[in-house]
Amino acid sequence: MQFAKDSFYIALRERLQSLNPSRTIERNGVSRPAILVAENELPSSAPRSLDAYYIEFGEVVPTKSQGEQPLMCMECFLWYQTQGDSESAIDRGRKLGLLDLDLMAICEPPYARKRNFLVSPSADLGTGIFWSTPVLEAAKERAMVDGSRQIERWARVLLYFYAEVIPQ
Amino acid sequence: MIQGTTRAGMMPVARRLRTYFAPIDRVSGTPTVFDPAKHGAFPLDDPPSPWIDLGWIENFEQQSETRIEGFETSRMDAGAVQFRADRGARVEFDFREWGKLQMALAGGSEHLNVLAADPESGAQPAGGSALPAIAVLEGSTATELLLGAAAGTFVKNDLVAVDVDYQQNLGYVGSAIAGAYVRDPMEVGRDINFVRRVTFNVGRVSQVTANSLLLAQPLAGGRPSPGAGVQRVVAFVDREGGAFLQEWSALFVWEAESGGRVCFYYPRLAPAGNTKNGLARETKSEIGSGTSALALHASFRAVPIRDEIDGAIAHYYRSYFPTAMSAVY
Repeated sequence: MQFAKDSFYIALRERLQSLNPSRTIERNGVSRPAILVAENELPSSAPRSLDAYYIEFGEVVPTKSQGEQPLMCMECFLWYQTQGDSESAIDRGRKLGLLDLDLMAICEPPYARKRNFLVSPSADLGTGIFWSTPVLEAAKERAMVDGSRQIERWARVLLYFYAEVIPQ
Repeated sequence: MIQGTTRAGMMPVARRLRTYFAPIDRVSGTPTVFDPAKHGAFPLDDPPSPWIDLGWIENFEQQSETRIEGFETSRMDAGAVQFRADRGARVEFDFREWGKLQMALAGGSEHLNVLAADPESGAQPAGGSALPAIAVLEGSTATELLLGAAAGTFVKNDLVAVDVDYQQNLGYVGSAIAGAYVRDPMEVGRDINFVRRVTFNVGRVSQVTANSLLLAQPLAGGRPSPGAGVQRVVAFVDREGGAFLQEWSALFVWEAESGGRVCFYYPRLAPAGNTKNGLARETKSEIGSGTSALALHASFRAVPIRDEIDGAIAHYYRSYFPTAMSAVY
């Protein structure tokens, strides 16, 4: 399962880097594509970054497929927020729309190879992962303590993969 | 599990079917060949020439009409005999995207470019007397039409048809790709623009320069023929009826999301007329309550070819590109 999570994340990260190289965040003084897996980050009470995608994983259930290896289906949630670029934050809705567009674009095509990233170079594990078109939930606005306003959204994707298959 | 292989990779998972068509030489009947060894698992957005990407389709259904029959003799030592009868195959599907070639294939007969017409000309169902063509100059390519100063008569986003003047010739007309068959010049009114009315060499102007038109997509027939002219197109029309029968090579590819890629190659597809839904020409695909997308329904009969490998008669080929590490059986 970990390989499927890693492969999903790396596929989206590489596509984002290619699609929009300027969409980056700073982490420990290093610039990186603005997409990360929440459970892989250092525990922190600091607020989440603006204009970045946070991936969280949810329920995992087997599908009705039959075969030696069950085909699994995992919920993936992508969360992102923005306050726009202008001081008044009046463009926050438009900025959220750009984040929506980038997300839809990096989810196409809706599949990738499943790879083992614990070795270098990464190794093909012999199967693919694929996912549903993102469902964008209603945007929500939040008033911040300093009086500013931020707007955020959850997007939901179903990720399909075979439980680990590691040919030796 | 056998070492080094997976059985999970043997299950092709796909949601969408992509389709490509390529012209047939109508005079010789020679199809365009899809060679799995030569063309391989090509990128879906970049098909090998001369295949034309016609986008995603749905409700794909292919039916073998070949029956295997047999009989047994009364003599125990003679055994049973089996043979194939009524060999044939049909294929039906819905084009989700509308375009010049999609309409032509779904309609099955001549597909007409409605040429920009003289406002004073009489009304006709497929457009009246066309405005004169502008000569395409030598040195033009499939994506750039050299017109000299006359390029200024076109604007960005115009649709244009590019082909030769009709020279009162008989037989197939249309440069590189046959668009119609003329039995008698009188039938087409000796119209000098007739070839451009039926040609598949149609493009969208993406840019107008001082002396040329740049096209967003290359002309299906390639470089314009010597003596070609260009005219503005305002719409496409097909008809219930007509005398011409389209015939094309076809390739259908399941987009492999997990597991291997499956391709269906039909060397020669001709219109089949009736469909399993009767005579439906369009289908509706509901995309929301009360909202439907209109799809072009296409129905074909597979015309057989003789396979050079062993002389066998074949209607279509199914190829499978196993994914990495999948078991063979």
